Parts: sequence; C-alpha cells; structure tokens
Amino acid sequence: MPTPRIPSLNKLLAALPRDIHERLLPKLELVPLKLGASVYEAGGKQPYVYFPTDAIVSLLYVMKDGASAEIAVVGNEGLVGIALFMGGETTPSRAVVQSAGHAYRLSSKRLKVEFEAGGALQHLLLRYTQALITQMAQTAVCNRHHSIEQQLCRWLLLSADRLPTNVLTMTQELIANMLGVRREGVTEAAGKLQDARLINYSRGRITILDRPKLERRVCECYAVVKSEFDRLLPDAIAR
Amino acid sequence: MQAVAKPRSNALLSEVPQKERARLARLLKPVSLTFGEVLQEAQLIKHVYFPVDCLVSLFAPLRDNVAVEVGLVGSEGMVGVPLALGVSTSSVRAVVQGAGSALRMGAAAFQRELDLNPVLTTSIHRYIHLLMCQVTQTAACNAYHSIEARCARWLLMTSDRMRSDKVELTHEYLARMLGVRRVGVTVAAGNLQRQGVIAYSRGHITILEPKKLEKIACECYGLVKARYENPDG
Repeated sequence: MPTPRIPSLNKLLAALPRDIHERLLPKLELVPLKLGASVYEAGGKQPYVYFPTDAIVSLLYVMKDGASAEIAVVGNEGLVGIALFMGGETTPSRAVVQSAGHAYRLSSKRLKVEFEAGGALQHLLLRYTQALITQMAQTAVCNRHHSIEQQLCRWLLLSADRLPTNVLTMTQELIANMLGVRREGVTEAAGKLQDARLINYSRGRITILDRPKLERRVCECYAVVKSEFDRLLPDAIAR
Repeated sequence: MQAVAKPRSNALLSEVPQKERARLARLLKPVSLTFGEVLQEAQLIKHVYFPVDCLVSLFAPLRDNVAVEVGLVGSEGMVGVPLALGVSTSSVRAVVQGAGSALRMGAAAFQRELDLNPVLTTSIHRYIHLLMCQVTQTAACNAYHSIEARCARWLLMTSDRMRSDKVELTHEYLARMLGVRRVGVTVAAGNLQRQGVIAYSRGHITILEPKKLEKIACECYGLVKARYENPDG
C-alpha cells in the first residue's frame, strides 16, 4: 500500500487556509503509528501533536488498577494533543494507536505559536475541541446505558468514519480495552455482527461489510457525535 | 454593626485585571437561580452563567427522556463554554442542582468580551481543559465503578461546590444523576447511612464523615479535585 504523503489527508490540516497550510507544511513530519503504541501517557509532557491520516488513536482513561476505558477516538478528522493549546500542560488521558497507520506530527511549540496568533487555525481547533467534548460526553452516557453490541457498533462506525478505508487493523483485546468490557463480551458481540454479515473479522482485521445495517443496530450516540462533527467541522469532515 | 459578608465571586471572573472589571461588571447581571431551573437546553445559547454559590449539572440528553450527568459546574467555572470555542449551540442540558446566585451575560456581549479580554479567554480555555478532564473521568467512572463509590463521589463533588455538608436531593434525583435505577441508589445510600457516613432524611443528605466518604468514593473524586487545584499536576 502506498504511504500517504499528502498532509491534506488529515481533514483539519486540509481545512486550513492556504497560507497557514504552506507555512506549516515544512514543519510537518509524517510518522508511522504502530498498533498498540502509546502516543502520550497520562500526565506526561507532549512534545508533539499528531494529525492522523490513516491511523486511529484512542484517548483512554486509565484507572489506578490499570483498567482503561476509551473516551474518544481521533482519526483523520482531528488531532491528538488538544490539552496543549487549551492551557493544560499535561494530558489527563493516555493516547494509544488502535488502528495502525500514519500521522503528521508537529512540534507542540510550533502549534502553540500558530494557535496564539489567532485566526483560522485557532478557530478550527477550538471548534474541533467542542466536537470532541460532545464525543466524550456521549461516550460517558453510552458506557452507562447501552449494550456491548451497541457500543461496538458505535465504535466501529466512528472509527470507520475516521479512516480512508473500511478495514480496521486491530485485535479484539484492544477493542475490549477500549470499551472497558471483558474480552468475552466483545467476542460475543463481534460474533453476532459477523453471523449477520455486517462485519468480517479475521486475524486482527475487521472489515465493515454492511454499513447501513450497522447504522440500524447502533445506539443513538453514533448519530449525536457524527452530526456534531458534521455541523462544527463541515470542511474537515465532508467525505 | 455586623460586618457585611464579602460577596463570593466566580473564579474565572476574579482573574480579570482591574482595568477590565468595570466594563465586565456592566455586562453581568446577578441572578438568583432555583433548584431544577433549566439554564440551557441542548440548543442555541442565549446567555452564559458564571455560578457564584449555585451548582449546575450538565447532562448529555438521550432519547426516551433519559439523561446522564456528565459534569458539574460551580464557582470554578461557567455554563456556556461552546461560545468560547466559537460554537453558538450547546450539546448539553444545564440544570440548577444547588440553588444560589450566578452572574449572567448575554451571548453576544460575551463573544465581544472574549475578543477584548485575553485574560478571560485564557482562563476560560483552561477551565474547558479541566471540564474535559471531568467529563473524561465520568465516562470511565460510568463504565467501571460501583454505585456506592459513584454515589460517594457525587456527594463529595456537590458538597465541595456548594461549600456545604448538606445536600438537598431525593434518591430518584440521585439515580437520574448517576444513570442507575432508583433501587440501586436506595441500597447504596442505606449502606452509607448504616456506616454513619451520611444522614438522610426527607430529601436532605448530610455528610457526617467526609474523610470516610472520601475513602468510599472511587478514585475519580480525588483525581478531579487534585487537577482542579493544580491543573498542570
């Protein structure tokens, strides 16, 4: 598969006006993100922010006993590291690659300079922040109210929306960690979706076969999050 | 003569430099908010609120009239943060959870003020970061922790923000807050009462042993509190 080398593959970068885009271009560095790799640790410093192109990064909250729960997914519609420009020097969550791919990284210092200059970049990143808050709040509700199968459908659809393909490279164990449920629960839910031919799962690859049917099974949380992203970041999300 | 109590303020506003305060004061209207009052539906924002000694719950609405609390706002914060992110509608519902006073500002005036007042803008962005930490914690907490631990956390967070060891609420309300069935809350509150940690009577909960309650609460309480006290920690 060819390596994506065009920063426009990240929709936030693509939505920037040309002058900012050109100014940032030489500062952006394409890096591979390996499955399961940690981009940030909770409470750690953030030397870089990441604009994923064909990778998905999960923001996870890690409990004292090591258990973790996913609070948001970030893919080609966003960036990882918003705590930086919101004035928190460290991030409260752990950021882990949950679907392997690439991201453009930019030094935090550089991003801060651009952000503080105001204008289109600041405007875009703040709107992205609001969309992310909605995603986090909806995840809090979903974790409480909806079945594992519904959560899995939500997770698959949100992830697929953030990838250029309908194939997710990942393991069930990772999904279980993401959803904060036991592995068997995910295996059972994924098995049902596979039997109904909505997805195909083999050797760490999940392929979405029937998107409309998946959308019918998912809880409302997916639509709430999607419509908020579509509304707040129309240029960044238009597919 | 009795000393007049110094009015409590809102942390975001108190960081504003002296020279900006007179203009800001003209835009702020003191309002008295009652329990259960809806300040904001998940729609267009008309006003922002800076709580002084009231407490506001943020709910993510679901169909079927179910809503789950995702955040609590007191004098450390504000209601209407989407405006500070350049977004004119709210995705959450804001309901007064503890009666008291707040300062209210019109949405348009607030947006103009943000352009004029970089100190305010920076402290609000910082607050949004903390609010996101709270929402994050709630998402994880909802997935993992027992009703009793969550109940304890909620009582402590409410009591901190109300600066009072008395919290007014019914089991039904608390159940709605925590997104669980009422019977679950009744059992959890009963356990807390038997241990002598709280006293419950007719819609009033009194925290008798805050230290013990902190031990029963899940880790989420201490973590969010520590972060509010030291945002970079």
